[in-house]
Amino acid sequence: MNASPLKQLWQKFQRTRIGRSIFRVGLPDSNLERSQVMVSSFLLHMQPAKVNKHSLRASYSFGLGLITLYLFFILIGTGVLLMFYYVPSTERAYDSMKDLEFVVSAGQLIRNMHRWAAHLMVLFVVLHLCRVFYTAAYKPPREFNWVLGVALMLLTLGLSFTGYLLPWDQLAYWAITVGTNISGYAPVVGPKLKYLMLGGNVVGQPALIRFYALHVMVLPAVTILMVAIHLWRVRKDGGLSRPDEPGNVVAQVELSHLPTNKTYGLMELARGTTPQVGANPEDEVFSWPHLVFREMLLFMFVVAVLLVLAIGWNAPLEQFANPIHPPNPAKAPWYFLGLQELVAHSAFWGGVGVPTLLVVTLVLLPYVDRQRRGTGRWFARERVLANTIFSICLFVAIVLTIIGSLFRGPNWSWQEPWKKPPAATESH
Amino acid sequence: MNDPTPSNGVSRRAFFQLFLGWLAGLFAFGASAVAAVRFLVPNVLFEPSEQFKADKPEDYLDGSVTFLEDERVFLIRNGNTFRCLSAVCTHLGCTVNRAEHGYHCPCHGSVFDDQGAVKGGPAPRALTWFLVTLSKDGRLLIDKGQPTAPDRYFVL
Repeated sequence: MNASPLKQLWQKFQRTRIGRSIFRVGLPDSNLERSQVMVSSFLLHMQPAKVNKHSLRASYSFGLGLITLYLFFILIGTGVLLMFYYVPSTERAYDSMKDLEFVVSAGQLIRNMHRWAAHLMVLFVVLHLCRVFYTAAYKPPREFNWVLGVALMLLTLGLSFTGYLLPWDQLAYWAITVGTNISGYAPVVGPKLKYLMLGGNVVGQPALIRFYALHVMVLPAVTILMVAIHLWRVRKDGGLSRPDEPGNVVAQVELSHLPTNKTYGLMELARGTTPQVGANPEDEVFSWPHLVFREMLLFMFVVAVLLVLAIGWNAPLEQFANPIHPPNPAKAPWYFLGLQELVAHSAFWGGVGVPTLLVVTLVLLPYVDRQRRGTGRWFARERVLANTIFSICLFVAIVLTIIGSLFRGPNWSWQEPWKKPPAATESH
Repeated sequence: MNDPTPSNGVSRRAFFQLFLGWLAGLFAFGASAVAAVRFLVPNVLFEPSEQFKADKPEDYLDGSVTFLEDERVFLIRNGNTFRCLSAVCTHLGCTVNRAEHGYHCPCHGSVFDDQGAVKGGPAPRALTWFLVTLSKDGRLLIDKGQPTAPDRYFVL
């Protein structure tokens, strides 16, 4: 064994009394230890000891969910740092943003990372949703986890929206004015909901403090809980979805068929499929190192890309919020521009009707789609119809977003981006 | 054990225990939920008053449309009549701009005519007209809490 000096030092520490008290299993050298290390560490035990080779294929999952999770971690880290300087007051919020930009060491970098990670998280949540749809990974037994995923997407959008107001600049102020007015179009409860969100009739101090509390406490707490359940369900539903293989018979224990007059061990009661059930042993590899190292590598990659973005491109900060003059055109963040384009035609359909229809359709999808085949393969032939409908919706959403972001000038009039008007040359 | 046990197996005592238990639990949970929601609805608003005083009538030129920036309204004089039009777009609350004829909203492109009626864009309603009166010290008094008809003038 030619262990590196670093590894030797680690193993030496491992053999001390203190080392043994912290890490029960050292760096694994045998298959037994590779299993033990996964179940003896709190952080590692959330993952299986062995993982199916199919789940490791980057060309299957593209690591999209994992990237989203990493971005969320980074958002928590940078967000907590920003909280040390940010003051949620209409008089001081904007100044604290300026402080972060010009006075605080690395303040601009941390804010940039937070902003970029937030935008990317929205993007990757949607990409992850597309991956799960196109690989039909929402089919039984994973229907409910798809619903949880939809909820997490909404939470991500909620976190982005509440975070948008906090800098108290023109963009923030008018995006929230427009956004809360949209909620006022909801039937029956609309005006009450708007009043509750703003804590009054106008966007002011009560609204800022409400959005702040939601952004730094309520929504992150709910999101963390939902993420935990989402990941737990991934394992309980048998790991990542994969195609049915010959011999890979799904073993489903029906509890009602078991005799009730004896005591069962946990393994006998565990319901549903596990990655091991019915799988061929040669399809599986040890999570340590195959899964764990890939995850670490991906995390480093995400941080590196985020750093490049944060160093290269500053988060925008417009002028101090001015309740009298909206910027012309007044635009929401890019991920809402598709909706804003719809809102420009009909406030009800853009702000309430279409979003509600979309969410309801997404939630019901795994229960409505009865076709059982095609799981675990990209663009399965059996799913031509479903994939076509989804692609058309996706295409329309992308086109609306592009129109809203690039083709709308002053007074929301049509404006080709290559024919810039002299006034509206602000860039994001 | 004198409890009469009916055929469905639930004794009267068990029934009352269950009933009261659920009642108490639901009451505790419901009351807390109502209190929490009610807590979030503010009782006192620290917002500017909906009534405000503009300048004296003679300070506005005949035929002028004056934008009162802080109040987001237009004050319109025609001869010795005065009217006040809201500058808040009825679509999503942006401030409309005065155009040559009528008003344009910069956010989603709603267009209103001189009477505040919708001429184009997504706005669902006409701009609101507010009641104009005269205060005791001879200045125009406008109440943004009192919408009024577009043909209702304050005549000096």
